[in-house]
Amino acid sequence: MKQLTEITTPFGEVASAKTLPGSELGWLQQLRDKARAQFERHGLPAKKVEDWKYTSLWALSQQGFSHDAKAVSLDKTELSHVAALEDAYRFVIVDGRFSAELSELEGLEEGLSIKPLVDGLEGAQTMLGEQIDVEKPGLNAINTMLMHEGMVLQVQAGKTINKPVELLVISTAENQKLASHLRNLIQLEADAEVTLLEHYVSLADTEGFTDVVTEVKLAEKATLNHFKLQHESLAHYHIATLASKQAAGSHWHTNNISLGGKLARNDIHSQLLGEEAHVTMDGLYLVTGDQHVDNHTRIDHAVPNTTSDEVYKGVLDGNSHAVFNGKVNVHKDAQKTDSSQSNKNLLLSRSCEIDTKPELEIYADDVKCAHGSTVGQIDEQHLFFLRARGLDETAARSLLTYAFAVDVLQRIKSAPMRQALSNVIEKRLPKGA
Amino acid sequence: MLEIKNLHASVEGKEILRGINMTVNPGEVHAIMGPNGAGKSTLSNVLAGREGYEVTQGEVIYKGENLLDLEPEERAQRGVFLAFQYPVEIPGVSNIYLLKAALNAVRKYQGLDEVDAIDFLNLVRDRMKLVKMDEQFLHRNVNEGFSGGEKKRNEILQMAVLEPALAILDETDSGLDIDALRVVAEGVNALRAEDRSIVMITHYQRLLDHIVPDFVHVLSEGKIVKSGDKELAKELEKSGYSWVHDAPEGQTA
Repeated sequence: MKQLTEITTPFGEVASAKTLPGSELGWLQQLRDKARAQFERHGLPAKKVEDWKYTSLWALSQQGFSHDAKAVSLDKTELSHVAALEDAYRFVIVDGRFSAELSELEGLEEGLSIKPLVDGLEGAQTMLGEQIDVEKPGLNAINTMLMHEGMVLQVQAGKTINKPVELLVISTAENQKLASHLRNLIQLEADAEVTLLEHYVSLADTEGFTDVVTEVKLAEKATLNHFKLQHESLAHYHIATLASKQAAGSHWHTNNISLGGKLARNDIHSQLLGEEAHVTMDGLYLVTGDQHVDNHTRIDHAVPNTTSDEVYKGVLDGNSHAVFNGKVNVHKDAQKTDSSQSNKNLLLSRSCEIDTKPELEIYADDVKCAHGSTVGQIDEQHLFFLRARGLDETAARSLLTYAFAVDVLQRIKSAPMRQALSNVIEKRLPKGA
Repeated sequence: MLEIKNLHASVEGKEILRGINMTVNPGEVHAIMGPNGAGKSTLSNVLAGREGYEVTQGEVIYKGENLLDLEPEERAQRGVFLAFQYPVEIPGVSNIYLLKAALNAVRKYQGLDEVDAIDFLNLVRDRMKLVKMDEQFLHRNVNEGFSGGEKKRNEILQMAVLEPALAILDETDSGLDIDALRVVAEGVNALRAEDRSIVMITHYQRLLDHIVPDFVHVLSEGKIVKSGDKELAKELEKSGYSWVHDAPEGQTA
């Protein structure tokens, strides 16, 4: 095996692996070496790999991204326009680097710990890499090789954290063609609860690449309200894995909103490993122009008496292309599984494309499972009704588009979160409403 | 208010309206009756501007403008209101949002500012009493899960809030039981005004027992074959529509 000093990736050179955090930790080096061997054998997934059939990484591999970011200073007032939540603990990453100055991590509630990756690696041996499969076709191997920044969040047993946490990842115009490889570790002990928003945003029409893996470990009866808002520039590439192993009685409520990006791919995976565990996987994608968004979700009901509820909605305009693949796997002994999944799409133009595929595999015999997907257009009857009430066509279309998407927002229980995300989405609708 | 001159209209190449002539003055209530397939709904859809109806001849003058040149929203903004025969359900749009958006669209055309939130709520609450609607309906999605009667009352509520100059009520009585019919009729009657005209399109005479028209027109095979006062409706009730085919054409009030 080659020495892990100089690494060549399809995304450009990494000057020296020694600068990566945790180089002194033997177990981590082994993990990185394993990932590197995996990557050298398989490279990037080709389109013949079923899970990557509709999403090509060829263009991404031709971009020649850099990994050397120059330090960027932003002022706090600029940040306040970018942040989604007003009242939150904030962990800010600017151009791939944690910014202590911009973050708001003073006076954390008792039981909550938030650290940058470099400080959280020690003791993360039982956590890091445990929720993901580094051999899965995709970017998990590259991320494990190259991860250099991220947030490590822990909540102690029995603690409910009242203020939400916003992980704010900003790309600026100062670093063009920058690749960031981020790893977030979220660990909730028994009966703990917290609300987290992962927020990815560009300050300009920056070309860039965010590769992020968020690993979530939920102990018995822990609850994570987990939101993601991906709102990067239309020249940005975003590839993410979000994975959780859930113990008995734990709840993982995810809501994944994709607005930005030239190419955005999310692989979201929940393994329900204890009885009474529940996952909500909701999502909304609004794409236009030449945007490409691909959401692959997977839920494993591994034991009896677990539940899942999934609503993904998409609004496509222009020449955009969206992919939805939702796997629900009910294992042999997982009796009394209750699972529902739906994917609905609204097409606003003739030249957009959606490939949607719900996949249900059931190996138990006493289960309740429902799934379905639809593709439709704005209903002409609805449009005429609104116009006959005085709304011009643009306003009527905009209102009907919002109405189509709104139930994904209505499913958000936290009012400030719902308001924050609604505000962002309303701005993205066709003008008029 | 409204002048329909020799109006001919086709749907998918088939001529449905074959020369309608009609004048509606401010404050008047006109009933258009006729058997199924006479062209009643086509007439209301042409007046509201629904796509798929081709006007081949004639004109419709509303307050001095050619109505047929205007988009559906422009007609609505100028005070033309269609109460739908089959009100659509719109998931995700609340009733109160619709009412506000519709009212503001009219106000914008009139050069007025957006309605004040408190004034708006007071107006809506007041108008809801007219059609005996509970306030919870404001926060429900438009017509979603409403009964047939609730949908029709909701149409009249929209009319009451928008205060149109010309209201076209398309089969507003269809699907209503007698109690619901009475509520809807009382709502419409409360909205009768000197500067507001109403055109009711109906198959049955019973609506006219509750909303008494000034004029009744009988539509058959795309033409008005007979016009008269409210007594004409009673005649129709007794003898049905079979005789209208034999009536001489072009006889108007």
